[in-house]
Amino acid sequence: MNDIERKVVKAIQHGMPKSLTPYEDMAKEAGITTDEILGVLNGWAENKKLRRIGAIVNHFEVGLSAGMMTVWQVPEDQLEEVGEQLAGFKEVSHAYARQGSEDWPYNLYTMVHGSTEEEVKNTIERMSETCGVKNYSGLGTIKELKKVPPTYIVNGTD
Amino acid sequence: MDKTDKSILSVLQNEFPICAKPYDILAEKLGLTVDELWERINKMMDSGVIRRIGASLDSQKLGYSSTLAAVRVENAVVDQAADLIGSYHEVTHSYQRDNEYNIWFTLIAVNDARIAQILEEIRVKRGLNESDVLNLPVLKLFKLDARFKTNAEKKSK
Repeated sequence: MNDIERKVVKAIQHGMPKSLTPYEDMAKEAGITTDEILGVLNGWAENKKLRRIGAIVNHFEVGLSAGMMTVWQVPEDQLEEVGEQLAGFKEVSHAYARQGSEDWPYNLYTMVHGSTEEEVKNTIERMSETCGVKNYSGLGTIKELKKVPPTYIVNGTD
Repeated sequence: MDKTDKSILSVLQNEFPICAKPYDILAEKLGLTVDELWERINKMMDSGVIRRIGASLDSQKLGYSSTLAAVRVENAVVDQAADLIGSYHEVTHSYQRDNEYNIWFTLIAVNDARIAQILEEIRVKRGLNESDVLNLPVLKLFKLDARFKTNAEKKSK
């Protein structure tokens, strides 16, 4: 990242200001021009360094109160196919293949959402039937301990 | 939340413009005045429906490393371990989960070495064995879409 890009990341990393002119306000704060911040962000939207910009909605507040991280032990040669299958469920927000280990053989990770725990359980069963993987485990959330946006640029390091 | 709020949430999640006056464009798209739109957005922020308005960057494309990690600690010390884990600014999300590995957390750091260093520090400080700490980096992303689908969107699918 160049100097201007670092300033943009630092300005936007913890959310945009509550303002009708959020980019202008962030630019002022960062000591760059509004055109510079818009230029960087539009460039990043194009090359996908910016995944998304906009509202982050609280799932609990909009009725999707249940969610379950579900991990799957998939034979290596089926990982690609099963990953795509499970990602195709509309109830699934995240699906990743991850490196398993001897202590933890699961290699496919999904976040499954629904309005009730029952609904989520049913979805997970349907997912298992669809992909034929019986070795899976639902890791229910007991408590949210921390949830913050990433800090890419730490104060004082720019 | 009425129909108008749901329409606002939909465009606010999916079509937030990158330009000098983004809310003017959204208001026009929704057929609302900027004042009305702004009032409704502020209400949804105050009530917690909207956590924040922000950017989700691709940490990997920006040159950062990330992973999902977990530790297995005794239930009696979950809070102390959680405090230690949460003290790293590289830790973005952390949950206590119903599993023998009972604290799960995501890390975004400048490189893989920093992630390994943090996990090793946590392991040593908590007196854990190597098998008590999992580091599960992504091999492949199949889907990442944390957007809430409003009813309007569900029907059109």
